[in-house]
Amino acid sequence: MDLLAQLLVNGLINGSNYALLGVGFGLIFATTRIVHFAYGPIYTAAAYATWFAAMVLGLPVVLAVPFGMAAAALLGVASYLYLYRPFELRQSPPLVSLIASLGLFIVLENLIGIIFGAGSRVIDGLQYDVYLVGPTFFTSINLAQVVGLLLLTALLGLFLRRTSYGKAILAMTDNPEMARIIGIDTRRVSLLVFAIGSALSGLPAALILMKDGATPHMGFIAVFMAFIAVVVGGIGSIRGAIVGGIALGLVESIGLWQIPTEWQNAISFIVLFLVVLLRPRGLFGMAGR
Amino acid sequence: MDYLLHILVLVSLYIVLATSFNLLIGFAGLFALSHAAFYAFGAYVTAILSVKLGLPFPVPLIAGVLFTAFIGILVALPALRVAGDYLVIVTLALQVIVLAVINNWKDLTGGTDGIRGVPNLHLFGYVLDTPGKFLPVSALVAAGCFWVAWRLAGSPFGRALRAMRENESAAQAVGKDLLYMKVTVFAFAAGLAAVAGSLFAHYLTYVGADSFTIEETIYVLAMVILGGTGNLWGSVIGAAILVILPELLKFIDLPTDIADKSRLIIYGLMLIVILRFRPQGLFGEMATTARVGGSILPAAASIEEPVIAGRSGTTLTGKGLHKTFGGIVAVADLNIELKPGVITGLIGPNGAGKTTAFNLLTGFLEPDAGSVAFGSRPITGLKAHRIVGAGVARSFQDLRLFTKMTVLENVLVALPDQAGDGVFAVFLRPFLVRREERQNLGRAMAVLDFVKLGDKATANAEDLSYAEEKLLVIARLLATGAEVLLFDEPLSGLDPTTLQDIFPIIHRLAESGKTVCIIEHNLDVIKELCKVVYFLDEGRILAIGTPEQLVADPALAARYFK
Repeated sequence: MDLLAQLLVNGLINGSNYALLGVGFGLIFATTRIVHFAYGPIYTAAAYATWFAAMVLGLPVVLAVPFGMAAAALLGVASYLYLYRPFELRQSPPLVSLIASLGLFIVLENLIGIIFGAGSRVIDGLQYDVYLVGPTFFTSINLAQVVGLLLLTALLGLFLRRTSYGKAILAMTDNPEMARIIGIDTRRVSLLVFAIGSALSGLPAALILMKDGATPHMGFIAVFMAFIAVVVGGIGSIRGAIVGGIALGLVESIGLWQIPTEWQNAISFIVLFLVVLLRPRGLFGMAGR
Repeated sequence: MDYLLHILVLVSLYIVLATSFNLLIGFAGLFALSHAAFYAFGAYVTAILSVKLGLPFPVPLIAGVLFTAFIGILVALPALRVAGDYLVIVTLALQVIVLAVINNWKDLTGGTDGIRGVPNLHLFGYVLDTPGKFLPVSALVAAGCFWVAWRLAGSPFGRALRAMRENESAAQAVGKDLLYMKVTVFAFAAGLAAVAGSLFAHYLTYVGADSFTIEETIYVLAMVILGGTGNLWGSVIGAAILVILPELLKFIDLPTDIADKSRLIIYGLMLIVILRFRPQGLFGEMATTARVGGSILPAAASIEEPVIAGRSGTTLTGKGLHKTFGGIVAVADLNIELKPGVITGLIGPNGAGKTTAFNLLTGFLEPDAGSVAFGSRPITGLKAHRIVGAGVARSFQDLRLFTKMTVLENVLVALPDQAGDGVFAVFLRPFLVRREERQNLGRAMAVLDFVKLGDKATANAEDLSYAEEKLLVIARLLATGAEVLLFDEPLSGLDPTTLQDIFPIIHRLAESGKTVCIIEHNLDVIKELCKVVYFLDEGRILAIGTPEQLVADPALAARYFK
């Protein structure tokens, strides 16, 4: 029973990461309809930028994290402006953007590999606390993962509902054509969601860097987890992505109860496979369309 | 020298991979990014059978191809349910699962160590243990695989694949079996990739999971996109360029690790640059029809061909048809009778349920209640393509032409009972297929002449004027050879002069014994064409009569113009 409790806690912690990735990826997908596969290596870049800020520039961690998030936002905006936007203007079929995104994925991932080397990068001398609650334990980094999810999504929710830009995003998520007709600058809104969505990946990236270290390939799994969270939760819903991400974390973690560790990632991919095939509109039926 | 020959062996392997992948994404439009997994299956089956069981060549090759073709059929199942972005993601996930199995099922696959000691090929007393000795075999195999892909792509089956790529429901509406086509093309693409995998295992005498990663799929994808989707020669050139180009990096003194990564960056950049600046690839889609009939178009067969004449004089009846969508009643208790030689009109305000009625009659929707019979034969519940085969076909309000195919191909693909739609005939009865294709070209030209589109036969459907597009819709429906022709707004948006040109065409269809039903909003058109008119509103038939009777009814007029 104690093991199960610990697995549930682990699932919740990992799930928070997936949820935040899902919210960022899902925001971009729901608004622009672009399957931004390069979200993965941009997340990786955020982790390395955080490492760079902390270890090379010597910034304290509280400043290094925003630095990583800013780097991700910048890369996200650049990928929209220079990669996806021209395809949108030409009205290419949506698949073209996805294939181009795979191209960008492979370019960025290997570029990072060349610049930083294949080994993992860690932040030395990091201090964190360990908490024991009942039969379970977790660290302050784990705590930050959960709190970070709650805080950032709450902020995002406020932004979307209270500001005019936020409302423009929601309008475009609902119906891009209509949004354009009523005079919303869809280019600017797209830039904004690429900035926000990518920045959101910066926090999970930084926390994984602190927990396990950064590797050039970390983005591959991340973007899939984000996609699964979105598909499970239903496209176009922040709450759905959160529920989807946490559900994914729990399934994966509880799966480990019976299944050897090396299959951990395969579990999530099988979940993805089944969900897309059986319920392509999401398990919770919150799909926008 | 050996190095150069080694590069050429690699080129021949990638030619097999790229052309088979092109069948899938370029011709069938199925972006299933799990090609490296098929490649892996071919390699691993060969390695396992020849190392662990000691089976001699060509047993492992054949087993690998058959097994992988079977896996391909399994992968086709998702492609039946999801398309586009979702198919891409699901198949990428599938590839991750395959890699996880390879890495974790250590007893069978050797895990991350892979399998060593795959025997070299022995042929005619030679051991093919150097690139120089291996090259003739791999080149020959590549040529053979290319021929298979070429034959498939250029056949009526390949044409049907392209029609499915352009529009699935329209392909169904001309009688194509999507399930059969998807399953078959996946089996072929997977089987051919397995041939490359099997050769790879014998050539390197080693298989390991890192040869079959997602990067490998993207690598082959870049070759196909570079050469041009839908062009098999393009894939050959694309494979050659993308194998040779990165080798030039060898002339720069880089550590292997960085050279490998640079290679991948080149592929990624190549993919982006091509999509951005030349999305059709180096070579556009290849023209297949021209090949079939030689360079000269055949003379049209005579108009008295059964293609245009009705035969049986059978009536289509729908009884008590009912359909609701989430509580909204689309069609309620619809009784309709379409008689041969009569043009029946279906009118009513927008949302009256006219198109839903067509969907129910043609199997595109399953009715909640009620039945459809063609003569005495019940056709309720049959798949849409079977209903077309039985003799009931429909067109779409939004045209759904196969836009990236020629006008002639649009009609050719719709002709019924083509032996070449089946892959067994394509490969085993080539003369039958060729003879039939000649006849079909004549029939297709006859249909095009009938609607006066003969001079546009070689134009692309996307380059037609609006009126010509409407004519092509009629021609394509006609080509199905169906007795009952359901036209969904065939004349909307046309100017009066064009209308006068088309009226006689539709009249002649009815005179020759076809059963014709048209959905139409323009009352003048209805008066000109129809003998019987059904007035639908809110899913119910409110009146049946001659156009004059219906127009004279003030209550209907009020509803119609409300």
